[in-house]
Amino acid sequence: MTSSMNAPLLEVHDIRKIFVDRDYQTPVLKGVNFTLQRGEMVAMLGPSGSGKSTLLSILGTLMRPSSGSFRMLGRELTTLAEKELSDFRNQQIGFIFQYHHLLPDFTALENVMFPHAGRLWRETRAGRERAAMLLERVGLKDRMNYRATRLSGGQKQRVAIARALMNQPALVLADEPTGNLDRENADQAFGLMSEIQRETGTTFLLSTHDRELAERCERRIYIQGGVVVDQPQVVPGRSSLRVIAGDPLSVIDRTQPANAGGDRQRA
Amino acid sequence: MTFDYTMRFDLKVALRYLTSNRLQSALLIGGVAIAVTVFTFNAALINGLAEFQIDRVVGSSSHVTIEPATPRPAVAPAPEGTERLVVSQVALERREQIKQWRSVERIIETLPGVTGVSYNIVGTGLVTRGEQTLPVSLKGVEPARLSAIAPIDQTLVEGEARLGLNDVLIGRKLALDLGIGVGQPIFITSNQGRERTLTVRGLYSTGVDSLDGRLAYVNLDTARVMFDLPEGLTEIELKLADIYAARDIARQLADTTGLEAIAWMDRNQRLREALEGQGNSGNIIKMFTLITIIVGVASALLLTTFRRRPEIGIMRSFGISQRFVLSVFMLQGALIGIIGSLVGCFLGWGFSTLLASAGDGTRRLPVDPSLGQYDVALLLAAAASIAAALWPARAASRIDPVEAISQ
Repeated sequence: MTSSMNAPLLEVHDIRKIFVDRDYQTPVLKGVNFTLQRGEMVAMLGPSGSGKSTLLSILGTLMRPSSGSFRMLGRELTTLAEKELSDFRNQQIGFIFQYHHLLPDFTALENVMFPHAGRLWRETRAGRERAAMLLERVGLKDRMNYRATRLSGGQKQRVAIARALMNQPALVLADEPTGNLDRENADQAFGLMSEIQRETGTTFLLSTHDRELAERCERRIYIQGGVVVDQPQVVPGRSSLRVIAGDPLSVIDRTQPANAGGDRQRA
Repeated sequence: MTFDYTMRFDLKVALRYLTSNRLQSALLIGGVAIAVTVFTFNAALINGLAEFQIDRVVGSSSHVTIEPATPRPAVAPAPEGTERLVVSQVALERREQIKQWRSVERIIETLPGVTGVSYNIVGTGLVTRGEQTLPVSLKGVEPARLSAIAPIDQTLVEGEARLGLNDVLIGRKLALDLGIGVGQPIFITSNQGRERTLTVRGLYSTGVDSLDGRLAYVNLDTARVMFDLPEGLTEIELKLADIYAARDIARQLADTTGLEAIAWMDRNQRLREALEGQGNSGNIIKMFTLITIIVGVASALLLTTFRRRPEIGIMRSFGISQRFVLSVFMLQGALIGIIGSLVGCFLGWGFSTLLASAGDGTRRLPVDPSLGQYDVALLLAAAASIAAALWPARAASRIDPVEAISQ
């Protein structure tokens, strides 16, 4: 039991992804390797087009890699069938997107309950109580029965955070979760995720361009040209970013064109 | 109470989608309702018209007629590969009759759904009035069963529906042709050469010229004398509660009595063909209404699927199964079909009722609102809507979440 608890939550081994469009092949991920420990909050950095979103989609089991493997909770996910992946995603993975992506015809409470009720095909009292608790936790107790369309941008993103946590996932994948918010709302949303991560021990992997937020994470992974270029270990304090890579974002940004993730090649 | 803990969640999502875009849903339901209105009104009209025509023809005649069996000569089977031609001649010296009719009467009494029986002797004759001589069909009936088949008592326009031994009831047309009225005598000669003077007791008018101009009713005992049939009958007529059971009853009677039993539809081939043609035209209209439902619902739901692609992608991203998404869209189709067809059935019934009656009790169109086939319409329209939803629902369930989210 202890050894399994100490084992990494996620082990990514040589993940590659090539997009094929007629005669052209675009390699986006060229062999990504890293691990995530349980309860970590990790920032994934890299310029636009470096493959961050593709990697998150693969780790979230929404997309299959061209090759490579990854294990989560000791389970090899690349070999699972579509239905098993769907069940696994529902119970172990939470998503937070840059654009909140709430379902506009449903209330905040229904949006949060959706992953639970959709799995059971039925709303339950327990599900409702957990959704209400989560909304209270993100400070939206008084907005529970508001339609998603009536909420502000920051409120919507907080509902999205609550929804990602509904089924108590082991891993939350957040793709630019603050990218569409102003500074104040971004800080609030990030603060909320940090607090929840500390309280629940949920592992967070966030892709972000926001250096300030990245520095507040326990660890950072840098992706450039489809590979992890540096992988600092967990170090106490917040100084590792400068020590290891100086200003890695600016370095990457200077060397990598905006769409540099894929080197388009004729097949 | 905001939440319903017992409602299926896919049904809740389907209902929410339908109510969130009320105009589109109303148009869709309206489309199905119009198609079902056409379906049910068409059924009420075609079936009502058929009933009207059948009633006109069959209402004043028998549904099953039992006649003496036609004797068929016994012929040895032809050797294999050859055909045998047989010439037979009807035995003119022997008259066909139903001798053991009392035993047939007992069989008829056990049959369900028989609403009237008439034991008749029918033959031909000539009626003479002054210099006028006209051919007539003479029908000898028991006075108590006079109106068992044709409603003579209801169609009586003059005199009374009484058949004493010296009485005769004739149609108004025949009376006009002969220039005769109630209470006056006529001289009748049967085809057996028997002559009798009878008094016209009443005149009837069924509206069917072949009856009103040629048929004369006499007492069964009078007919026995005129046609030299002291025991037997020439036919037994039956009226049924369900006219469409006539063939079955006829077959059953033929099997048990050995006599010939003929159903009304086999006597009226032209009517049957006309009704079949009418029914087929109605079915074509019904088929097109169903196609309209399928095309309408499928195209609208496909548009909805396209519009909701990102939402479906999001649902799939948090692990909602393809089956759940499929079910949400199938349920939308089913709900549109069921609600639309209920509305359509109500409208169809309303139009049929409105157009069936002119308000003063007379009939405006031969529409029978009770024959609108509402159950069939409901079932077919719901099935068509579900079938129409299948394609969009499958498309929705197969949406690639990554592609849909990035839309």
